[in-house]
Amino acid sequence: MAENKNNSAEKAKASSILEIRSLQKAFGGHVVLKDISLSVERGNVISIIGPSGSGKSTLLRCASFLETADGGDILYDGKYAMHDGVYASKAELNRCRTRFGLVFQNFNLFPHYSVLRNVSEPPIIHGVDKETARERAMELLKKMGLDGKENAYPFQLSGGQQQRVAIARALALNPEVLYFDEPTSALDPELTGEVLKVIKQLAEDKMTMVVVTHEMPFARAVSNHVIFMDGGVIVEEGHPEAVFGNPTQERTRQFLRNYQR
Amino acid sequence: MKKILSIALALTMLLALGVTAFAADDPVADRTSFVMGIDPEYPPFSYLGDDGNYTGFDVEVCQAVCDLLGWKLEVFGVNWDEKLVQLDSMECDCVWSGMTILDSMKEAGYVISEPYYDNTQVLVVKADSGFASSEDLAGKVVAVQLGTSGEALLNGDLSDLAATFENVITCDSFLKCFTELEGNAVDAVFVDLPVAASYVAKHDGLNVIDENLGAEQYGIAFRSGDEALCEAVDAAVQELVENGTYAEIAAKEEYADIVNNLLFLSETEEAAPEAEAEAAA
Amino acid sequence: MSLMTMIIKMSEGLSKTCAIFFLTLLFSLPLGMIVALLRMSKIKIVSAVTRFIITILRGTPLMLQLLAVTYGPYYLFGANVARNKLIPVVIAFSINYAAYFAEIYRGGIESIPVGQYEAAEVLGYTKFQTFMRIILPQVIKRIMPSVTNEVVTLVKDTSMAFTVSYQEMFTIGKQIANSQTSFMPFLVAGAFYYIFNVIVDWVMGRIEKRLDYYR
Repeated sequence: MAENKNNSAEKAKASSILEIRSLQKAFGGHVVLKDISLSVERGNVISIIGPSGSGKSTLLRCASFLETADGGDILYDGKYAMHDGVYASKAELNRCRTRFGLVFQNFNLFPHYSVLRNVSEPPIIHGVDKETARERAMELLKKMGLDGKENAYPFQLSGGQQQRVAIARALALNPEVLYFDEPTSALDPELTGEVLKVIKQLAEDKMTMVVVTHEMPFARAVSNHVIFMDGGVIVEEGHPEAVFGNPTQERTRQFLRNYQR
Repeated sequence: MKKILSIALALTMLLALGVTAFAADDPVADRTSFVMGIDPEYPPFSYLGDDGNYTGFDVEVCQAVCDLLGWKLEVFGVNWDEKLVQLDSMECDCVWSGMTILDSMKEAGYVISEPYYDNTQVLVVKADSGFASSEDLAGKVVAVQLGTSGEALLNGDLSDLAATFENVITCDSFLKCFTELEGNAVDAVFVDLPVAASYVAKHDGLNVIDENLGAEQYGIAFRSGDEALCEAVDAAVQELVENGTYAEIAAKEEYADIVNNLLFLSETEEAAPEAEAEAAA
Repeated sequence: MSLMTMIIKMSEGLSKTCAIFFLTLLFSLPLGMIVALLRMSKIKIVSAVTRFIITILRGTPLMLQLLAVTYGPYYLFGANVARNKLIPVVIAFSINYAAYFAEIYRGGIESIPVGQYEAAEVLGYTKFQTFMRIILPQVIKRIMPSVTNEVVTLVKDTSMAFTVSYQEMFTIGKQIANSQTSFMPFLVAGAFYYIFNVIVDWVMGRIEKRLDYYR
């Protein structure tokens, strides 16, 4: 873990894969994100924690263009996807899309596709030849501990297995950063472990990740940067040991206290 | 076939009897009302008048008959191609609406009144078509109304003529037959003369070919077993003929096209005892 | 007329009944999809107009629409009435059924979770690819029972072509019934429709079963 941290610190200035500045978003009259700024450097694992409705999922959805932000900048690898509230061209956004992958809370696997096709079709539509895509998919499934499941359909799998297929699907496109939107919230408690284990393994492989999560011990153990959000603002951020061990803000302390109970 | 037919009819009637409160030993004397089944689209015999009530020659005569016998008249529009089924199911007491008497009706047991009208079947064509006889229509398309005597003729006595046509299509109303003709979808309409005459009088560009293709007679159909009712109506009509009411109705302007073919006016009073005997048989 | 002659005569009409049935499905199934997409259009005026047309098609009797399509052009513009009645009949049926199918499709499309669209978007599927590969196959599975219902209704509705004098099976049955003063042709017609629908049911059941590999 320490090694990981040092690595990312070295690269920090050179290589922000994602940078967000003063991001704003309101639904109707309700402001969900107020002036959020963050930067994701290659090799880092960032956890975003906070109570429900704090805007952390919205932040991730804005970063992956599923929600249209109202103002601010979004940059991928130094290039504007949104500049002062104005989105870049469709083509530029599509280029940005190839840089990130997103793992949903509800997996959102395609139920009519086999596990293999779920993982192999996205690369194929991006022009990868079928055989290569297939081999890569098999490799990823194996890595996720899903060998032998390639011909199963999602409904035949447990929630934990489905989420691992979803991770494999996201990885199949070789993203530079992987977003997780509460990846274990829809799972039975006994199934969260297998998914967290996979994410931990990815962290060890130096995968850049942003994880919105309620799993505090996991966030503390895996990430090298933690962001605590509440009411649409970043209340506190820093090294996990600092945020979890010695929070400076009262709201952070209160939140963590509630969680420990 | 006959057997199946009679079983089917018997079943329908049983069903109908089940739902209708039927008692009366003397169906005529105890009767207070009379339901007349008509084709509401068959001017000038029966149609929806300008005032929204059913009228026509048959309806007026029937009204006079009911007045005479002290019945309350109710006019019921039947679906013409299912008129006999509706008669069987007691929806009406008779079918009286420019109805051609067919042998098959008598064979099926229906009681038929004295014929009152000599029907002529004609072909109506477009005036500019140049067709002057039925022979000119060889290889052409002819429309006929479903359930009319015209249709029966083309399937029966006139099947040789029908075979020379390219095709005979059946419409469920004569209005559609004429629309098909005016819209050039068919070349001729085979129809009863009075209908032809009244339609051609109101619409330009049509011609009636002067050729009588079927001599038949109109009568009133009653259910099997209603001989007494039939006789009562026949007798009442005769009384109307004698007291002049019948002629009075027939003299109206709207019936000018049919007046010459009314049997009771053109013949002596003792007309058609033969038909009566047949009906009773 | 023997029962056999009757059945043979009515079978001749059956081919026309089948023509209405298959041609209507051929045109109305895809047309319904176009209508459904117009109905869901983000352009307000397009969806409002489409919606209005659908209410008319669903809110008026098919028989009236048959008459309008067949004779309307003559009464409005003095145009010729079609000699081959199959054309107006199939047009009227296709338009009418497209309206019903459109509403079924719309219900199906709207029942697909938004997450499916989001997943496809993030994975870089184009809108067209998303619809054809991800949404449509799932919609088809979901709407099969409703579509089967409509198809069964269509079999029976073909008899309505008699209003515009198209000589399909039921029209011929009525003609025989008239000339023979017999109820028999209606029983024969009923049997024909029943057998037809048993076959339709079986085919649709097979299709539903083939889509049963996932939930």
